[in-house]
Amino acid sequence: MVASSFRPALLALLASASVLSACKKDNDDPTPDEDNEQITTLRYELTPVGGGTTLTAQYRDVDGDGGTPATITPATLVLAPNTTYTGKIVLLDETKNPAEDISAEVQEEDDEHLFVFQTSGVNLTVSAADRDKNNLPVGLATQAVTGAANATGTTGTLKITLRHQPGTKDGTATPGDTDVEVTFPTAVR
Amino acid sequence: MLFRAPAAPVAAPRWLWLLFLLGLALPTQAQPACTLTLSGLVTDHESRTALPGATLVVLETQQAVQTDLDGHYHLSLCAGTYRVQVSFVGYAPETIELRLNSATVRDFRLHPHAVLLRGALVRGERVAPPTTQATATLSGQALQTTRGQALGEALQRLSGVTAIQTGPGIFKPMIHGLHSNRVTILNNGVRQEGQQWGVEHGPEIDPFLASRLTVVKGAASVRYGSDAVGGVVLVEPQPLRDSAGVGGELNAVGMSNNGLGAASGTLEGNLRRLPALSWRVQGTLRKAGTMRAPGYYLKNSAFEERNFSGAAGWQREAYSVEAFYSQFNTRIGILPAAHAGNQADLLRAVGRPRPLETTDFSYAIERAYQQVRHEVGKLTASLRTGTAGRLRLTLSQQADYRDEYDKFRPRNDNRATAGKPELSYINRTSTGELLWEHKAWQQFTGSFGLAGTYQANRYAAGSRQFIPFYTNKIGGAFLIERWQHGRWLLEGGLRLDYRDLAVRRGDRDSTGVFFVDRSRFRYLTPAASLGATLEASPHLTLSLHSGLTRRAPAANERFSDGVHNGMYELGNDLVPGAAPLTPETALNLGATATWHSNPRFNGELTVYQNRIRGFIYQVPLLPLVQTIRGTHISWQFLQTDATFRGLDLSATYLLTPQWQLALKGSAVRTRDTRADEWQVLMPADRAEASLRRNWSGTAPTSRLTAFYAQVGGVAVARQTRVPDNYEARDLLAPPAGYALLNLELGGTVHWGRQPLEIGVMATNLLNHRYRDYLNRYRYFTDEMGRNVTLRVRVPLNFSH
Repeated sequence: MVASSFRPALLALLASASVLSACKKDNDDPTPDEDNEQITTLRYELTPVGGGTTLTAQYRDVDGDGGTPATITPATLVLAPNTTYTGKIVLLDETKNPAEDISAEVQEEDDEHLFVFQTSGVNLTVSAADRDKNNLPVGLATQAVTGAANATGTTGTLKITLRHQPGTKDGTATPGDTDVEVTFPTAVR
Repeated sequence: MLFRAPAAPVAAPRWLWLLFLLGLALPTQAQPACTLTLSGLVTDHESRTALPGATLVVLETQQAVQTDLDGHYHLSLCAGTYRVQVSFVGYAPETIELRLNSATVRDFRLHPHAVLLRGALVRGERVAPPTTQATATLSGQALQTTRGQALGEALQRLSGVTAIQTGPGIFKPMIHGLHSNRVTILNNGVRQEGQQWGVEHGPEIDPFLASRLTVVKGAASVRYGSDAVGGVVLVEPQPLRDSAGVGGELNAVGMSNNGLGAASGTLEGNLRRLPALSWRVQGTLRKAGTMRAPGYYLKNSAFEERNFSGAAGWQREAYSVEAFYSQFNTRIGILPAAHAGNQADLLRAVGRPRPLETTDFSYAIERAYQQVRHEVGKLTASLRTGTAGRLRLTLSQQADYRDEYDKFRPRNDNRATAGKPELSYINRTSTGELLWEHKAWQQFTGSFGLAGTYQANRYAAGSRQFIPFYTNKIGGAFLIERWQHGRWLLEGGLRLDYRDLAVRRGDRDSTGVFFVDRSRFRYLTPAASLGATLEASPHLTLSLHSGLTRRAPAANERFSDGVHNGMYELGNDLVPGAAPLTPETALNLGATATWHSNPRFNGELTVYQNRIRGFIYQVPLLPLVQTIRGTHISWQFLQTDATFRGLDLSATYLLTPQWQLALKGSAVRTRDTRADEWQVLMPADRAEASLRRNWSGTAPTSRLTAFYAQVGGVAVARQTRVPDNYEARDLLAPPAGYALLNLELGGTVHWGRQPLEIGVMATNLLNHRYRDYLNRYRYFTDEMGRNVTLRVRVPLNFSH
């Protein structure tokens, strides 16, 4: 009978289906996503114009989205009253080894990027000190001017946003997408 | 490598050629007189379903035969000219004259008898084997009115079936409140395996493939594996043509709302010289522009689809072999509103009457889109094992490629130029099933099966991890027996699966150092079912079904982590403080009463209860997850105990032979019994009613036949049964209930001898603004406004 000779063959085929497709490649481990862009760290360094210690506010999330939440140091950025600071933004991708300097890339494509500084509840004005080739502000280099001290016990915020505006940059925050958005608790004391 | 998908279509033609040459080489013998066979198939002209028990009479010799269960007949005649009359209750009898010089295959397509149209249509439906489980089917004209829609969208026509939706292009079928990992989809007999984990991943299936869509409501895990806790969707193409000739059909669909255009063609044939060989090719193009909600266009809501498939079969009495290959390609735009910058912006975007960013009409698909390809290669073989039964083997290989592009273009120009997707997944699955169906013994029929799956899921190097690498191996055996005696049918089954899930997940510790986390989960998951059906009267069937299933958690439920399509998702095992998932155990009970074959009133009522211990579900995660890009709508998987209780109802009442009233409704109540509150994201109560006028009395010579007009409405209530303190657990309360008015016209136009089936359907006729609780876009946008659809189907037959 044809049937009886066929059956074991079919069974063997069935069993081999899984074995055959189990390639060696299936034992590979995932690798770090080197090609994928990440920004893990934003630093805002403020140096008093008349000289003095540089203050640094830092947002850092080295394990990427989710997982351990980002840390913001210091807990509150405290600036002196009625002082002018020179500000500098540093962006890093610390998942790469060595860490990738993203601010250098932003500098290279400064006609597509705009940093926006917004303050709330604190006497602080931040303005861009650099311009791109179209004479529009960039914001990697800034001037920060503080006013009167905060009322006792109050803290405000400084929000730094990096807008990516390829081909649409017009000096305002509206066009494009948000690449970075970080809020630092800030006070003038 | 034998079963890798691309191998199948390459191997098939060579193999077919061999068989073809073999067939040509066979000597053609002169037939002795009076043993010329006349055979063929008798089917319903509309639905193409076989008509078992139809009578054929050779008027000259008064020889008479009846068609068998598959609608086939067989006559032996001398050479000569005969008149053959075919008749079947409810159908117009047909007489043909034919000259017989050699063995001839002649098919008949009977037209439902005009006067008995309604009753005849009921009878014309394929007599499915009695099952103890609630099932619902979409075929024939009802299926035709869903052409152009996505699979999950079409299935919503069935009571008890809804869809989890992501905008106008993505519909995930939901049966009795369960979806995704708990609904198994069988695409032409192959378990659909891809990246089904995502709620925003629609089934990668071309519905134009199907001539029938069947939904098994409730657990069917014994036959289809432990994932079928919620139910099964069967996408079934027409069987390959078994009579000589070439035929096919053309379908064209146009929609007014989003400018959707769809065209699909099927061509199939059977060689006269080689009657065992049949083939079919099929292809579909579908493209839609931006969807229009009342008052505005939804930005980036266009989508497109390109699909094709081919099949070839060799059919003999004792054995048959069939090879099948299909490819599905789609690109779907994702709404930019989901990609908000900061929490304040996101909260402002949520619940706005209309999204901030709207657009003009366009077919362009911009960034934030999905690009998916799904390939299926399948080989089936069936062999009669003597008189004992039949052995069926199904082998398949599937490959699923899913690329997701973020809204944000890479900031680095070099990376932007490379144009690589941010998420890029490859899923390869091999499945094998060996089934032996034994012949009736005493009153027993049944089957025994072995099934195996090997699955590897990877993401491309350089793309973002969202689901980790995993390898899933499943091996199982099952036994299903039926006992039929008089008016009773009892069915029982047992299954045991062994599942081995190995996961390798890349992660970074708190100092940012990359490491690989390996874990392995092995489970034995048993399933059992027991059911009974009683033909209480010729018009009333009662069924009772129970099923017990254990389902192992899937990789995504444990380990999804990251942002995709602008939303953040987190697997249970990564939720801080959550215990690792354990398998779900589901006890499913269902009872169905069917009142059928009545001249006026017919209907079906199903009540069910599904108790799932360790129910795994997704909930909005609050507070929203923050990344350096801002805030995202966030979801996480959790586990609890849940009890689903619900009912599905459908009924038709023939007011007069021309006027028919139809009603449909479904309701489900789901309690989280661990927290003693309502379960989140469950379908709201819904009801549908329609009134239809059939102009069936038209003379068959008329240019327009089977004309009908239907006015109907769909009403969906607000979901009020949500978890306590809902404001703190979701960004937006469930939207208000809604009611929509729909209109439908259809008929067959005879253009010479060529019939054209034409249908016009208008949905949301009053352009009502509404949102649906189960649409993930509900946070941002309204549903589709008024839409008028035009459908044309052209059946083709080049035989004789």
